[in-house]
Amino acid sequence: MDMRNETSLALPGHPEQPIRITMTLPTNAYFLSGIRDFTFSLAKNVTGFSEQWAYRCQAVIDELCNNAIEHGSKPGDSVTICIESIVGKYIEFSVEDNGSGHPVNAEEMNKLIHERKIPSYIQHIGVRGRGLPQIVIGWTDELEFSDLKPHGLKVRARKYFDKAHETQSVPNRFSLKTFALT
Amino acid sequence: MTYVNIAIDDVSSGDKNKKVKLVAFSGQLDESNVDENAKKIYKLIESHPDNLFLIFDFSALEYMNSKSIGYLTDWYGRVTGKNGKIVIARAKENILDILQVVGLTQLINCYPSLEEAKLAIM
Repeated sequence: MDMRNETSLALPGHPEQPIRITMTLPTNAYFLSGIRDFTFSLAKNVTGFSEQWAYRCQAVIDELCNNAIEHGSKPGDSVTICIESIVGKYIEFSVEDNGSGHPVNAEEMNKLIHERKIPSYIQHIGVRGRGLPQIVIGWTDELEFSDLKPHGLKVRARKYFDKAHETQSVPNRFSLKTFALT
Repeated sequence: MTYVNIAIDDVSSGDKNKKVKLVAFSGQLDESNVDENAKKIYKLIESHPDNLFLIFDFSALEYMNSKSIGYLTDWYGRVTGKNGKIVIARAKENILDILQVVGLTQLINCYPSLEEAKLAIM
């Protein structure tokens, strides 16, 4: 696992400068517990999010990575994870796959998420299908899919600090965007 | 593989027709281990096809992902379809939170103590 902090000075005390950490992860679920632990620690100790939201952040990154590993890549590939935050403002997660698994483009993902985010959906599904439409959508304010060239998918999810701490309930404001990188 | 353990014990119910089991989870249920460990619960359900009452003790469960919640929903459907019941006891706040965001707390009752869970199921 390759991990680098692109802005090494962006630690607490420099609140307006984004912290951006990029990791390259082998497509093996073995590594996910480490990513969850790291995300929890970062969200709780660096970004200013509450412990409850730090737990939620670790679930969000876990679901995004699972999706990329299972649907967007094949064994032996890697996925790229980026966590970005401005302390006290937001935390953002993005995960890129290379599309070698079961290629789904951004438009198809958008359609799938819209179909599955309705509350009654839970009564009609089996074991799979709750990660992105219920956990990630429930606990983030923005979710954006984009197609990568020549192939692959990038998903970006952002949680705003003020929205996280104005209420403890599931947020009802949510935007879902799809676009293709040119 | 992430650590997880599932321990299954009998609970005396005083009712011969009612099979009550305490299923204690510890560790983390994630993509690396959930499929393998879910088999233990399916085996338990298959070995007691009717009137099975399960108390899931989540006091030592630290994390569960969406697929493990999916399995939980499936187990609930199978058990309740055969006159049984599943309840959850002593779940940590982060576990209750994730169950709530997917709507599962509307389906499966959660209790803060084992005693309350047993009372609800007996």
